[in-house]
Amino acid sequence: MELRTNELIKRYGSKTAIDHLNITLSNGVYGLLGANGAGKTTLMRLLCDIQMPTSGKVTLDGKNILELGEKYRALLGYLPQNFGYYPDFTAMDFLMYVAALKGLGERQAKKKVAELLEAVDLEKESRHKIKTFSGGMKQRLGIAQAMLNNPHILILDEPTAGLDPKERVRFRNLISAFSKDRIVILSTHIVSDVEFIAEEIIMMKSGQVLQFGKPQKITAEIDGYVWECTVPSNRAERYTETLNISNLRNLENNNTVLRVIADRQPMENAMQVRPTLEDLYLFYFKGVSKE
Amino acid sequence: MKNLIKFELQKIMIKRLTLVSITSVLLLSFILSFATFQNMYAFDGKSNEGSGRTAVEIDKSIAEKYAGVLTDEKMHQIMADFKPTHDLHGMNAQYLYQNAMQSAAFARFSDMNGNWNGLSVSDVFGVEEIKIGYVNGWLNTSQNMARVFIALSLVIILIIAPVFSGEYGGVDNIILTSKYGKTKCATAKIIASVLSALLVTILIIVFHLALAFIFYDTEGLDSSILFAPQEFVEGYIPFNITCGTVLKYQLILALSSAISLTGITLILSAICKSQMIAFAVSAAVHLTPIMLPIPETSPLYRMIVLMPLYHLQYISIMSVEQMKSGMLYAIWAIPMAIILITFGAVISRRIFAKHQIS
Repeated sequence: MELRTNELIKRYGSKTAIDHLNITLSNGVYGLLGANGAGKTTLMRLLCDIQMPTSGKVTLDGKNILELGEKYRALLGYLPQNFGYYPDFTAMDFLMYVAALKGLGERQAKKKVAELLEAVDLEKESRHKIKTFSGGMKQRLGIAQAMLNNPHILILDEPTAGLDPKERVRFRNLISAFSKDRIVILSTHIVSDVEFIAEEIIMMKSGQVLQFGKPQKITAEIDGYVWECTVPSNRAERYTETLNISNLRNLENNNTVLRVIADRQPMENAMQVRPTLEDLYLFYFKGVSKE
Repeated sequence: MKNLIKFELQKIMIKRLTLVSITSVLLLSFILSFATFQNMYAFDGKSNEGSGRTAVEIDKSIAEKYAGVLTDEKMHQIMADFKPTHDLHGMNAQYLYQNAMQSAAFARFSDMNGNWNGLSVSDVFGVEEIKIGYVNGWLNTSQNMARVFIALSLVIILIIAPVFSGEYGGVDNIILTSKYGKTKCATAKIIASVLSALLVTILIIVFHLALAFIFYDTEGLDSSILFAPQEFVEGYIPFNITCGTVLKYQLILALSSAISLTGITLILSAICKSQMIAFAVSAAVHLTPIMLPIPETSPLYRMIVLMPLYHLQYISIMSVEQMKSGMLYAIWAIPMAIILITFGAVISRRIFAKHQIS
């Protein structure tokens, strides 16, 4: 299965949200990274056929998704960034309703709903009204509804928002187990989530793809730009103003270890270290210190 | 599809606002019916008088005495039986009310002083055969229903307005990306809306008829509305039809109004991004026709009375002259309802399917 965007453009008035985007996605987990306004949500909506592109098209195995219609949506699972719910519905009602929308038969739906309620740890709350749910519980319910039809294309916009660390781990395991022979696209601000799950990273800025590839490959792009150095703690704050600091760790001896992104050695005792995805993110979205 | 319709019905009906508004209309219906029943007054012209149940019994026994086709003899008899025996102090005897039969006769055959005005039955009603009887119960029920139906129409708008617009608050993302979100789901919403509107209307109708049966029983269904007491505007419908026929038309018109209104509201629900706006605009569209200064003689009036509000205010649409076939013009409300719901279904479905998430 191959999902492709061809010269995809989306404009809102004079603002270009997606700018001549050409990407090809085959089976695998893709992590979508980018600052707010980079175009991640718009791209996901275009891939889901709930926004019309200004020009260009999205194709699945060469066929325009607009023409595929129901056939395409039958393969799709989507968790929006902010989704509404019916406050007077129970979790069970809501999932059964979405299952009906997705064309599942009643028996099949009941089985799948029970399975997913267990997977997202909402079994005990299945008969509770959604209006009594916490943010994390609603988010888990959202994840469950997206997976009801065993989608071949699963698109998750900020799936870990509102989840506590234990729930995030559970979510990562769920996606890892689910992702075989499927296209899974997830966007998040929590870089570590993407680092754990995603096989490929799509880094976006101003509606364009900055980097696309395996985490090791794209982080290699900034080899030589990431440094660690130890400074007295009382001077650390001054450095945060002048350097692009990706991490700051206090030691017991009144010293602080700074992780700096810079194109040259930021201070004498600074040593080059292996870049991570977070460093790459900051490299692109905070800029390189030229000190 | 059946499953989707069931869920859409559930979404409409389990809302607290829906339940509260339906309960309010039921309560209003009970208060109106009970107050009307309690406030009824009748005097048999001799010694017996009373209100509430007593008044109903007095009116019924008088109606029984004169029941049948209205003749000049009967008319004179009624005039004589209830001739005012006291000084009216300048009051017009046509407006005198002792009981239903007396009021109906004096409104048409009395002069100011309560004497016969010289008109015969054929002078007033032409060649029509006027069957007289106890009409108060059904006509009161009919009047109360007409009042309640206005509130009911707003309840229908209130429950249908969020059908599409309510989804734009965030569930649209999920619906429109699901297999049937742009197709069967919209159809299920439309079917559920029509069913909800009809169910609520039928519930209110049944409630009114049950109250009417308890308060007045079934007498008078075959009596002509033309020989109604002064206070009933049903008497202005210029056709010799029975209470039963009026009731039948009124109920059909209530259902056609519910369907028409659903069609209009569905379109606005699909267009408006907020349920409050959808409700306000639908209510405005619904209520506007009655404020338009269109005289009954204008050809435009015939069009205006086909709007759902006039189906509820059935006197207007039923007063338009009969068609050549002898059928009442009001029958046009049915094709109008079919047209409006068809438009509503097609347009709202299309708008929802094309909706862009923002």
